[in-house]
Amino acid sequence: MMKKIYFLVLALFIFVGCSSKSQQDGDNNNVVFGKIELSGAWARPGAKGQNSAAYMTITNGTASTDTLIGASSNVSKKAQVHESYKTDSGETAMRPAGNLVIDSGNKLQITPGRYHIMLMNLKRDLAAGDSLDVTLNFQHVGKKTVRIPVKIQN
Amino acid sequence: MITSILRSLLFSLTLIAFIASCSKPKVIKDLKGESYQLVNSDSARVNFPTDYKGDVVAVTFIYTHCPDICPLITSNLSNIQDKLQDTSGIDFVEISFDPRRDTPSVLKKYKKLYGLNDQFSLLTGDTTNINKLMNRLDIVTQVTYPDSTDTTSNNYFFTHTNRLYLMDRQGRMRYQYPASAVQPQTVVSDLNTIR
Repeated sequence: MMKKIYFLVLALFIFVGCSSKSQQDGDNNNVVFGKIELSGAWARPGAKGQNSAAYMTITNGTASTDTLIGASSNVSKKAQVHESYKTDSGETAMRPAGNLVIDSGNKLQITPGRYHIMLMNLKRDLAAGDSLDVTLNFQHVGKKTVRIPVKIQN
Repeated sequence: MITSILRSLLFSLTLIAFIASCSKPKVIKDLKGESYQLVNSDSARVNFPTDYKGDVVAVTFIYTHCPDICPLITSNLSNIQDKLQDTSGIDFVEISFDPRRDTPSVLKKYKKLYGLNDQFSLLTGDTTNINKLMNRLDIVTQVTYPDSTDTTSNNYFFTHTNRLYLMDRQGRMRYQYPASAVQPQTVVSDLNTIR
């Protein structure tokens, strides 16, 4: 009898523990456990007080659609996903990209000339060889942080 | 007989001259005789294009607060430089259309952070002179404010023309390309045509 109670309590603790962890990670309703992966990440050099850009590939390995809803960094006062585009008259312009949906099994390429994570108002100089943290916030899996190198694109 | 030979020779020479002129790139903009006073990243006065007479110049237009396209332009110019087997007599010039924020010291830092050597000149200057040069070279710029209610702040971006020119030794623009997207090898081939 005591053994049964013991295992019941143990199971209860495990269940509660797992639920708490999923709340810390974000709203996991309707998500089958898989991974959002961030790969190939790098950032441009930049001077303190100015802007830089970070790039990476986001792979949605989960079984559900997810949405990139925000970004931040430890080296900038603000970070935001922007999109470079060509206007009707042929000039180059930039605008906030808004929330970006990534279907299950798909990739989102954040690459030069298209999307970039704009690191706004840098807190310090970023030189080639430095590193920084970029945190992406997803609607379902929550926040994911990656440490990335600063490099000069070639 | 001799008249006939001379006539044929004259015709052949004319034909060769015609074909040769057709194969040379057209002049897009002729700045020969013009001079725009600018300043480089060492705060030294530079007269563009006068001070570059005798060299072939890859010239483009950026602003250093630009996070994506302008660094891509700089990177492309750097790649072009790397692909040239012989860089003698060639200059790489980036002119800022944001003289309000792109002071010589800001350009100096940009040059250092992007690892650009002394073949690169980063130029800024008086707003009037910069605007005159931009108009002359058909470089369109428009300020955009992230916060549309505050148009006095120092926080703004540009919508801008994305262009690279190749200028010959006489100050004439002979080729133009999308600066951030042109393949370096294309520019290298064209540079070798006019150098």
